[in-house]
Amino acid sequence: MRGKWKQINIGFSCFLLVSLVSGCGTSATSGSQSTNVPTLVVDEANDPSTLDPGLQYNLESYTVYRNIFDNLLHRDPVSLKIVPWVAESWKQDSPTTWTFTIRNDITFQNGDKLTADDVAFSLQRILDPSLHSPQNANFSVVKSVASSGNTVTITTAKPAPTLLSELTTLSIVPKKYIQQHGNEYFNLHPIGSGPYELDKWEKGNQVVLKANTNYWKGQSEIKQVVFRSVPNDASRVADLQSGKADIAFPISPDDVQTIKGSSNLQVLSAPTERVAYLAFNVLGNTPVKSALLRRAIAYGINYPSLMSSLEHGYAQPVKEVLTPVAFGYDKNVPGFEYNPSRAKELVQQAGYSNGVTLTFATSPSYDQRIIQAIQGDLSQIGIKVNIVSTDQATYLKKIQNSSHNWGDIRMGTWSCSCMDADGTIYPLFHTGSIWSSYSNKSFDSLVDDARTNTDTNQRMKDYNQAFTILQNDVPGIGLWQMDSLYGASKRIQWKPDAQENFFVQDIKLQKK
Amino acid sequence: MGYAGRRIFQAVISILGVSTIVFFILHLSGDPVLLMVPQNSTAEDIANLRHSLGLDKPLGIQYILFIKNLLQGNLGYSYVQSQPAMDIVMERVPYTVELALAALVISLAIGITIGMLTAIYRGKWIERMLMPIILIGQSMPAFWTGILLIMLMSVRLHLLPSSGSSGIQSLVLPAITLASLSMATVARMTRSSVIEQLGKDYVKTARSKGVGNARLLIRHILRNAAIPIITIIGLEAANLLGGAVITETIFAWPGLGQLTIQSIAARDFPLVQAIVLLGAGTYIFINLITDLLYGLVDPRIKLGKDVAE
Repeated sequence: MRGKWKQINIGFSCFLLVSLVSGCGTSATSGSQSTNVPTLVVDEANDPSTLDPGLQYNLESYTVYRNIFDNLLHRDPVSLKIVPWVAESWKQDSPTTWTFTIRNDITFQNGDKLTADDVAFSLQRILDPSLHSPQNANFSVVKSVASSGNTVTITTAKPAPTLLSELTTLSIVPKKYIQQHGNEYFNLHPIGSGPYELDKWEKGNQVVLKANTNYWKGQSEIKQVVFRSVPNDASRVADLQSGKADIAFPISPDDVQTIKGSSNLQVLSAPTERVAYLAFNVLGNTPVKSALLRRAIAYGINYPSLMSSLEHGYAQPVKEVLTPVAFGYDKNVPGFEYNPSRAKELVQQAGYSNGVTLTFATSPSYDQRIIQAIQGDLSQIGIKVNIVSTDQATYLKKIQNSSHNWGDIRMGTWSCSCMDADGTIYPLFHTGSIWSSYSNKSFDSLVDDARTNTDTNQRMKDYNQAFTILQNDVPGIGLWQMDSLYGASKRIQWKPDAQENFFVQDIKLQKK
Repeated sequence: MGYAGRRIFQAVISILGVSTIVFFILHLSGDPVLLMVPQNSTAEDIANLRHSLGLDKPLGIQYILFIKNLLQGNLGYSYVQSQPAMDIVMERVPYTVELALAALVISLAIGITIGMLTAIYRGKWIERMLMPIILIGQSMPAFWTGILLIMLMSVRLHLLPSSGSSGIQSLVLPAITLASLSMATVARMTRSSVIEQLGKDYVKTARSKGVGNARLLIRHILRNAAIPIITIIGLEAANLLGGAVITETIFAWPGLGQLTIQSIAARDFPLVQAIVLLGAGTYIFINLITDLLYGLVDPRIKLGKDVAE
């Protein structure tokens, strides 16, 4: 009897073994090395939401679609100056009128010529409410757009000193093609004039681009790009280690050591225009209404230690809530340095010698390690911090509510992609702006003037004064300038820029 | 017929209830527009976009519109992806079904095998060896199993791809990860069910009549032990379809689980509604199928008859 049971047992064991092995029988080939075409495999955190450049304005989407389309203007990654691209030249006719001359040698990937009419259409459709474009906000100052011959005229409601900056993000789309096929079709089958064209888009999985052989600026070295969507941080690092991906981002500073530990991998980084900051709820009924307490907090944070231990050195000190690469950065304000004894004195002066408890509102979208470290620093100077974390949608709803009832401190990282103080301190601190829980009339009038003045010297003066006010009032604290971080195979030769752009045509592959 | 009719009516009510609850929870907990606009937008920009999406209407009106469209089979457009919500969902379904089926096959093959072996060899070394496997499978969370498998099979051994969905090789690791939990459940259920049968009189009778062990096990015991196993398989199949969220995220598998997380995080209302409707529908459908399968396996069960009498 026992013997027969044993036979059955062996039979089942074989079945078990076979079912396991049959799945593992074939061995995998890694993505990039298997083909002869020079291919770049990119791991992103998410699939692009849309490939119609008039629609979504999130990192995953524009990382991909800016390789398919050309932008009206371009920001040189080294000099950070705005240079011609689809527009070969431009002039300002009046404080509110700009005329752009369009190149005549650009064609779309379907062979149609790119005209001034396409340029005007590209902006008009974003402004049209029926497209529901979130990018409308970037161009809401534009009153009208008109084309004639090879020129496009843009009229703004007020003088707009940051218009050219915004136009470096305006992708030019083919008017005739879109009108023929409709927006929905265009989103799935985009046609641009850029260095790459869409080969295939497997939703949620990957987007494959192939080089545009007729590109007006010449050929790119990389002939095929695969953008993969890999939401898990650890999986992106594993993809790099196993050779599945050539480049991966975003990468957390904690992964830097792992990547550097692999002999065939490297970390690419560059200081960006993104600033990490704290903001206070000055308008709410909170202890941080006291400027003394806010200043105490500014002196109570151990910036150098946070930058070296949590950011692993991939961060640069700042004096204010702005980075030095942006226009308007004032390097003459004193800023704040770590000074715990000064901080303790200020807490006493503010009348909280028995201690005070503050609420730190946040969401998982922000680096919780930094917030916990700040909590630790502040406990040293007699301030107890309760961290209240909700999901991003709830957090935004709370923060941006006009009742200013969201707590005392929050942390954020800010980049306007416009390299200008206007895109940072205006939305963060101007009275009534959705992010602002601060109000100061003289500050408002300075940033209002800088927003509607095209005289560069006057704007710089405005911002110098504005930053002096912020230094005294401390409605927010600049923590540091963030570095972009990319994990990459050593065969990649590329220098990231301050705007976190990802133009594949700039990337070179080392010959094996 | 009466039974089936009642079940379908119940199903429709359940689905309507589920989508109503989800509608209100979503609409009250966040605002998709705030997540869509660039950081430096003004309150006016936000109001404009909200208006153009119809999100500034009173919640009651939005709910009536939603139900009206739902009854016409229209689930609306994704705010974020600008495509019909159902199209987006259906694009992801094959991936999730593929992964769930692979995981189900693995968990049945291993789970039933282990379950039977541990039942037959109760108290023997085989049981002492196999039970820990079940325990480990049940105790290891998917994100841990998944990362360990990636470290071993992809980073160290370069045998299988670490992520993505290109070809059968990339299915292996996520399927094993996903199967590990339900494998344990199936094994435990099989074990207890077979143990129960082993003590029954018919087993003794069959043995005394000289029925061979293999025949006894497969023709008699397994058949009688099958009812609770089928129930658990039905539930596991539904769980596998809906519970792949973590596994899909780790292995960058483009299925419904990943889409669900992303669309909830973005408060992409129409897309979440479509996913929930599909999920609830599938769950209810699978339960119905399981109920009907009982009758096939065990002719003594005649669904609905006892209720009607």
